[in-house]
Amino acid sequence: MIIQGTHTIAAAPAHVFDRLMEPAFLQQAIPGCEKLEKTGEDEYIAHLKLGIGSIKGSYAGKVRLTDRQPPHKFTMHLQGSGGPGFVKGTSAIELKAEGEATELHYSANVQVGGLIAAVGSRVIEAVAKKLAGEFFLKFSAIVEHDVKPER
Amino acid sequence: MKSGTSNGYFGQALKRVEDPRLIKGIATYVDDLRLPGLLHAAILRSPHAHARILGVKTEAAKNLPGVAGVFTGTDINPACGLVPCASSMPGLKAPRHTMLAGDRVYFVGHPVVVVVAASPAIARDALDLIEVDYDSLPAVTNPEKALEKDSPLTHPDQGTNVAFTWLLANGDVDGLFAQADRVIKQRIVHQRLTPMAIEPRGCVASYHAGEGSLTLWTSTQIPHLLRTLLPGVIGVAENKIRIITPEVGGGFGSKLDLYVEEAMCSHLAMRLGSPVKWIEGRRENAMSTIHGRDQIGDYELAVKNDGTVLAIKARTIADIGSYLQLLTPTIPTLTGLMICGCYKLKAVRFELTGVYTNKMATDAYRGAGRPEATYAIERLMDLAAAELGLDPAKIRQKNFPKPGEFPFQTATGLMYDSGNYQRALKKAQELARWDALLRQREQARQAGRLFGIGLSTYVEICGLGPSKIMAAGGWEWGCVRLEMSGKVTVITGTTPHGQGQETSFAQIVGDRLGVPMEDIVVLRGDTASAHYGRDTYGSRATAVGGTALIMSVDKIIAKAKILAGALLGASAKKIDFRNGRFWVKGKPKNAIDWKRLGQEAYEAKNLPANLEPGLEASSFFEPKNCTYPFGTHIVAVEVERETGDVKIVKYVAVDDCGPQVNPLLVEGQVQGGIAHSLGQVLFERTVYDENGQLLTGEFTDYPMPRARDIPEYVIGSTVTPSPSNPMGVKGVGEAGTIGANPAIANAVMDALAPLGIRHLDLPLLPEKLWRAIEEKTAGRKMKKPRSQS
Amino acid sequence: MIPAAFDYSRPQTLEEAVNLLAQHGEAAKLLAGGHSLIPALKLRLAQPKTVIDIGRIADLSYIREQDGRIVVGAMTTHHAIETSALLEEKCPLLPEVARHIGDVQVRNRGTLAGSIVHADPAADWPAAILALDAEMETVGPDGPRVIAAKKFFVDLFQTALRSDEILREIRFPVTAKSVAYVKTVQRASGFAIAGVAVVVDAPRMTVSVGITGVAAKAYRATAVETKLAGQSLSAENMAAAAAKAANRVEPLGDIHASSEYRAHLAQLNTRRALVLAASRA
Ligand SMILES: Cc1cc2nc3c(=O)[nH]c(=O)nc-3n(C[C@H](O)[C@H](O)[C@H](O)COP(=O)(O)OP(=O)(O)OC[C@H]3O[C@@H](n4cnc5c(N)ncnc54)[C@H](O)[C@@H]3O)c2cc1C
Repeated sequence: MIIQGTHTIAAAPAHVFDRLMEPAFLQQAIPGCEKLEKTGEDEYIAHLKLGIGSIKGSYAGKVRLTDRQPPHKFTMHLQGSGGPGFVKGTSAIELKAEGEATELHYSANVQVGGLIAAVGSRVIEAVAKKLAGEFFLKFSAIVEHDVKPER
Repeated sequence: MKSGTSNGYFGQALKRVEDPRLIKGIATYVDDLRLPGLLHAAILRSPHAHARILGVKTEAAKNLPGVAGVFTGTDINPACGLVPCASSMPGLKAPRHTMLAGDRVYFVGHPVVVVVAASPAIARDALDLIEVDYDSLPAVTNPEKALEKDSPLTHPDQGTNVAFTWLLANGDVDGLFAQADRVIKQRIVHQRLTPMAIEPRGCVASYHAGEGSLTLWTSTQIPHLLRTLLPGVIGVAENKIRIITPEVGGGFGSKLDLYVEEAMCSHLAMRLGSPVKWIEGRRENAMSTIHGRDQIGDYELAVKNDGTVLAIKARTIADIGSYLQLLTPTIPTLTGLMICGCYKLKAVRFELTGVYTNKMATDAYRGAGRPEATYAIERLMDLAAAELGLDPAKIRQKNFPKPGEFPFQTATGLMYDSGNYQRALKKAQELARWDALLRQREQARQAGRLFGIGLSTYVEICGLGPSKIMAAGGWEWGCVRLEMSGKVTVITGTTPHGQGQETSFAQIVGDRLGVPMEDIVVLRGDTASAHYGRDTYGSRATAVGGTALIMSVDKIIAKAKILAGALLGASAKKIDFRNGRFWVKGKPKNAIDWKRLGQEAYEAKNLPANLEPGLEASSFFEPKNCTYPFGTHIVAVEVERETGDVKIVKYVAVDDCGPQVNPLLVEGQVQGGIAHSLGQVLFERTVYDENGQLLTGEFTDYPMPRARDIPEYVIGSTVTPSPSNPMGVKGVGEAGTIGANPAIANAVMDALAPLGIRHLDLPLLPEKLWRAIEEKTAGRKMKKPRSQS
Repeated sequence: MIPAAFDYSRPQTLEEAVNLLAQHGEAAKLLAGGHSLIPALKLRLAQPKTVIDIGRIADLSYIREQDGRIVVGAMTTHHAIETSALLEEKCPLLPEVARHIGDVQVRNRGTLAGSIVHADPAADWPAAILALDAEMETVGPDGPRVIAAKKFFVDLFQTALRSDEILREIRFPVTAKSVAYVKTVQRASGFAIAGVAVVVDAPRMTVSVGITGVAAKAYRATAVETKLAGQSLSAENMAAAAAKAANRVEPLGDIHASSEYRAHLAQLNTRRALVLAASRA
């Protein structure tokens, strides 16, 4: 499944890029993220609690960044699993200056497995888009105000 | 039926004697069994289609109160054998099919860990406490891409995705194609299907340490084959294994296997010293009980302009999934053997490649290889008729063997036992009011409606079969015993599980013995009572198993004549027998009945010298040939332009399964078979996504035909006895499925033909039809939706 | 198919239920007919610590006319709605929709409130709730609150109901007979691939159209409504308006129907529902 989107963030690419590399900012923005820790150069572990209606699940996962070319682009690899199944994906993220702002484009190839794939196929794409939307909404707000979130 | 006696049961549409207990809910299924100290197994299955297992943590599960054991492949596999495959395909590459996954998983649903606990709930809870660390690997999901050079491998250790290749070549194919006026070519995809028996699988294993004996209750079609195969897996001798098949809620081929769970529960019962039960859930059933069909074929038919068909060629790929189950490689070869259908083709070449993919194994599913054959040849006949401008009924008639040409040898080497294809076609056309139907189509078309008529004339192979063509014996065993009370116990080595042989076998035996059906009990599905048997599949039970009973009845009658003679003071030759009574010729008033004979046979005070006590006989029947039922189905449909919905307007089925023991049962089998086909043709399909995730793992996503989908059937029959057995019966368990697929599909394609649509693959989903219609009418080029694989 | 363990309580009054819900918070789930919750429990997609069964609370199941409106209690089953003479007379869209839900067993147990709170994007009720501009009355620790249909469905499986609130009653306007529901079923589940509910208000010359199954949440087809407002319901007008039924939504696509086909069915079923409703005027 390919999920893509474009979001405009009212800050310069270099700034946006920096913030995307900071776990504390990300944790605030990622829906349901309870923990995001750097474990090595460009490597993180994450704990997420996600719920869609009455369907809730906890996921643990690893995130790895490659192809890092500040402030233009990077690639994010994600592998997570939890009670209802697993998620695996690679997303290419590109930032482009649009006047004062940044236009961020992501294109993710996401694979879900287990129960969520089996019973959720009809809504998975919608869920993924919704989560991505929520992330960027929050992330933009945080970056635009550039208040360092309290941990 | 020729027999000395008759209650006239044979041929009567009697209600099934097994039904009341099923309807009242007082029948016993595996899950109804309760044994003291029973433990419950639950299985953790792979969510990945292909992955390396990096580690398994079971500590937390082991520590859960009530858990008796948690076992991984490392614990179980060394102690057990492999899941057997009975196909003896030359050059077959067989991956080691262990109980649990080793260091890799090969399909979604692959068993990884088994938990045994005091209750099903605890076992299920324990699964959530197990952590498996997977490194997911590229999955092979498309069987054609799997054959490309740079394809990932389903089983990297096999070095190839090709499981086997098989060639059936007879006659001068190239010469005949050179003589052809036209070659009709069509690529056909036979989609994957999930059998979805209403009762999923399940078993209870109990080991008696003192006796060293194992009893396995399991929802299967093949208790006897299991007893033959299980020793090789669990190391208990055949004569110390008893398999009991309680009530079975549907099999359709999917319970014609030795499954991991049956062997593993047996092993665990021995290992833990307690009986172990495992009951499959619906999602488990969808992902780890065999699937059916899944072939892709490129077919070519050589025809003359007058409609004479000359030869057929096929290149087919069978997507068999990741492992071999009992008959996995054999099933698509049946497609090859039956590819000539009802027609006098002179030559055939059928090339088959079996391909491993990261999916559940395929195996026999209602029709098992034959629906693919019938569907392919019947589509080709329609395409040929259309190209040549011939009537679809006439082109078929032209190529049928004549009734006098039977036994008829096909280009594939089979010997069709008997047939009168012309008569079945004619009768179906009469019942369908063919000419009126054509007029109806004409009117509908003039009004701009999409109305189509479809025809299929089919032949299939049943009554399996002569042992020389079977993996482990094709005979059947049966025993008939007159009890001391005069009641009759019939024991069959077949294992009816819905077909109704408790009724039809009682009819057969009741007639021949002259005993009322109420006095007859038919036992089945227990290897301790039915010592030998080859079970139920391939529509064989009546033709082969019924014959073994007739042989046994005749032995009893022969012995009873000796006994009656002794009691009446005459030699056996002087004894007449009819309607359950024996008398000295010319003195019918002074007759004795079975009740008296039963008493005498077992009290054994008045037996002639050299006559053993008892009145019991058993027999093995070895058929010389298979049987070849046939028939014609005619269907009329209307397709709704705006939605692509298909409505069946008329359904006529004429099936010839030889003489019918019980027409009600025949009709039930035909109706059920057609329902299966209706599902396959119109909406059923098993969908794996490109990563090997199963998307149709529940009834919310796998559509089954429902009562409201079933049209009014017009069902008729013709009777052409088979020379393969004394009753002349052929078999009817799969006829509906085999005859119906092409009839329905041909009707839909006929409805779309005026738009210039030539062929669409099954299932004919509304969206698929709507798109095809839109493309032709609105000239709109549709992009292929990702979801419509 | 065995749920994770949970505590079970069966309050006798609504107040008691509200208190229990407040006490357990997010860890609790209300159980009504159970026909959405229990499948989720069995798959362990939902693992509440406590299940609060509101099925025995007296008088949550009723269909009444009150102050010129139709009021339906939370525990009213699909079957009760399907067979209500009052609704047949005063709000006929509701029985018509109810007949399309699942099978008899499902309709005997499943409730109107349960369905709309669950907010399955393919459930039938949301189309009617939207088309009828229903009102949802909830109770919670802070007392009652009324939520309008347009605000109720927030996203897939998500409503404006707070986790400590209970939906108590749903209120509908009395309508004429000029209503219709046209649904294309997803063959396996029986849910809607595209379900369109139409209410024609002939005197005011307006229509309202609620559509379910097509997008991530049920929606009002405002483009259709605007196009037809004040217009005669001629075949051409209705067809032209229906063509806008999937405007400004992102139709879902799955193995049962691509987004393109869903959009097509939204349009087709809207046209058919409009024609049907208009014919009943
Ligand atoms: C086989 C089958 C077929 C079906 N087919 C269809 C169909 O064709 N169309 C269709 O629309 N639906 C269908 N359904 C769903 C059915 O209509 C459900 O009954 C309905 O969605 C939920 O109602 P319920 O009373 O069973 O709620 P429950 O399952 O008990 O609860 C559902 C959710 O709502 C919450 N809840 C329930 N009542 C309240 C309340 N008063 N206040 C706050 N929260 C509450 C629960 O906590 C839970 O989260 C089908 C269901 C099944 C099992």
